[in-house]
Amino acid sequence: MTREELEREILAWISEGVDAPPDDARFERLALALFHLQYERGAAYRRLCDAFGRSASDVRDWRDVPAAPTGAFKEARLAIFPPADTVRTFRTSGSTTAARGALALDDLALYDASLLATFRAFVVPDVARIRFLVLAPPAEAAPDSSLSYMFSRAAAELGTPDSAFLVGAGGWEPDAAIAELAAARAPVALCGTAFAFVHLCDRLAERRLRLALPAGTRVMETGGFKGRSRELSREELHGAIEARLGVPRARIVNQYGMCELGSQFYEPTLRTGRYGDVKFVPPWVRTRVVDPLTQKDVGPDETGALLHVDLANVGSVQAVLTSDSGQLAPGGFRVFGRLTGAEARGCSLAADALLGAP
Amino acid sequence: MRELAELAAARGALEPRRVIRALGETFARWRAPRSPERERLAREHGVYSPEVVERGVQLALAGWTESALESLRAREVPSPCWVPPVTAVWLAGSIPTAAFSALALPLLAGSAVYAKPASADPLSARFFAASLAETDPAIGAALAVGSDAKALDEADAVVAHGSDATIAALRARVGAGRPFLGYGHKGSLAALGPAVEPAVAARRLALDVALWDGRGCLSPAWVLAVDAPRGRAAELARSLASALEEVEDELPRGALAPGEASELVELRARAAVREGTRLEMAAGASTWTVALEAGDVRPPPGAFRFVSVVPVPDLESLGSFCAGLTPTLSCVGHAGFGAERARLAELAAAAGASRLCPLGRMQLPPLDWNHDGQPPLRPLVRTLDQETAEG
Repeated sequence: MTREELEREILAWISEGVDAPPDDARFERLALALFHLQYERGAAYRRLCDAFGRSASDVRDWRDVPAAPTGAFKEARLAIFPPADTVRTFRTSGSTTAARGALALDDLALYDASLLATFRAFVVPDVARIRFLVLAPPAEAAPDSSLSYMFSRAAAELGTPDSAFLVGAGGWEPDAAIAELAAARAPVALCGTAFAFVHLCDRLAERRLRLALPAGTRVMETGGFKGRSRELSREELHGAIEARLGVPRARIVNQYGMCELGSQFYEPTLRTGRYGDVKFVPPWVRTRVVDPLTQKDVGPDETGALLHVDLANVGSVQAVLTSDSGQLAPGGFRVFGRLTGAEARGCSLAADALLGAP
Repeated sequence: MRELAELAAARGALEPRRVIRALGETFARWRAPRSPERERLAREHGVYSPEVVERGVQLALAGWTESALESLRAREVPSPCWVPPVTAVWLAGSIPTAAFSALALPLLAGSAVYAKPASADPLSARFFAASLAETDPAIGAALAVGSDAKALDEADAVVAHGSDATIAALRARVGAGRPFLGYGHKGSLAALGPAVEPAVAARRLALDVALWDGRGCLSPAWVLAVDAPRGRAAELARSLASALEEVEDELPRGALAPGEASELVELRARAAVREGTRLEMAAGASTWTVALEAGDVRPPPGAFRFVSVVPVPDLESLGSFCAGLTPTLSCVGHAGFGAERARLAELAAAAGASRLCPLGRMQLPPLDWNHDGQPPLRPLVRTLDQETAEG
């Protein structure tokens, strides 16, 4: 199957939406074809497979597809096209000294299709358009941020003309955001990073303010804290949002995504009307919970490393092994944060603590 | 804190000669053949295989004798001087011998110790304290193990191990009025010169890698090999792979926590995708990994028996690599430099290393080692220069 044929089939599946049947046979066929394409054309991915003793002939099931740990995206260009064809590069957040992971794209059609299909289904399932207020910079101010790109694309496709980004390249002023929110008279989609919501709620608390955003408002938060605010548990963050912004928990959606993946995972809160912490897996993605060393599935009730196989990642690597701890659950999976175990490490330097590129 | 008051009272027993004898006898118990203390810790430690604990403790304590303790005290604790009555020692990591020295050094200076064990190693400090109390109950009464953070505020001095962020937070909490010694995260490397004998060096290096499974600041995180004659680095990498495979039977690697396993997988994957890097791994579960780099790279620091062998054209290039590690370079283990060893020492010192030692001894620092460049006891005490001449 050529890349064009594959992309056409995957795009067709995504266009059926998140309620399309999961169809294991269809997934298997496309994932195996994609593996062969990525093995043949992706030099760095081929090196990874070869080093771990997995040649193309060893892969007979989508579960056999070797996964690239997210760290590999920091080290090499995991792409199946020449650098000159790159139209967009998303990079992981991080300091300037530590190596940053990068996802290079030569075509945004699949990326956009997956992004919009899930965003529409889980954040704007009830209206054609809504006013977006975004606690993150727009894509033009943060061109290598996949989050900013997602918010910009979603706002362009699903937002009303008065949608606004409340954060610029140089940062933001929480009081101005509060004024914007306080003036809202119609429902909004208030989207942003978890740490931005912490700063917003903290500022509201400092000013002893409690807003009551219009009924129909929904909050979408994502991205964790990354050391940029105090860390709150999911419950604490959502409690603060409910208390300070007047948005009930059943209208708060957490999204889990990563720069290295083309697809994202959402809690189906707005679709079910129930508050929960299980992330929905779109039909064109499979999520496994594995032992990170062996990449074998752990037991059904056990926790392990999350491994995603995402057909939207045609141009790079479809199987990505994360450092996040998770567990399968009916309807999807739960995320518990980073895999634990750093305490025993002692006084030796962790990777990236010291070294960037030579 | 009641415990600190009791420790201050117990401090009266810390007469130097008696402390030296008690610590010397305790270390001797721990390094003795079939030491019950060591065997119990090896069985119960949990992070390392019993074989690694047995061998690591026995080897490390070989030189921790009464005479070494006596010399160290004489060198570092002048008379008169002020010694903090009680020192709080905040431990981190999981290496038993690091805990032993952290507890013993303030006692040797004459300070009672309140120790908080590391979360990953709750046993080493407790077992050491119990064995000291068995050796000499009065000296043992001057060492308490607990977890009350008030000790950080009420002790007369603080010694802390941990991440750089932890050290910074504790330093701020302790303030400038009390002695504070902080030991943050560091990395070490092995330097192999042109005169090295690959098989011998590989066996010694394998011991440095295997002890404490690459978790400590003295574990070789990189192997820099002067690639002369050309191909020598590749030969060393192959020899090291063989030596690590052999040592695995004798000193098996302990189980990895999920986060550590994930870190190891990332190290391997990053090496695998790096252009020109050749990866040697054990078959099956793969407990060790050797990555032979193509040169001119600074790979991430290895851990958990993952080692990168980086070829360098000459000693000066090796020095440049070391300079890039300032200020986090700790120890340089060496072999095969012959007459160039003095130049290696200059380069290592310039890069901020605080220790240069032969290969095979990286995990065996002497008790009087200037850990992270700090004298072991002197920063704890306050000395006084008295001038008596008049006129």
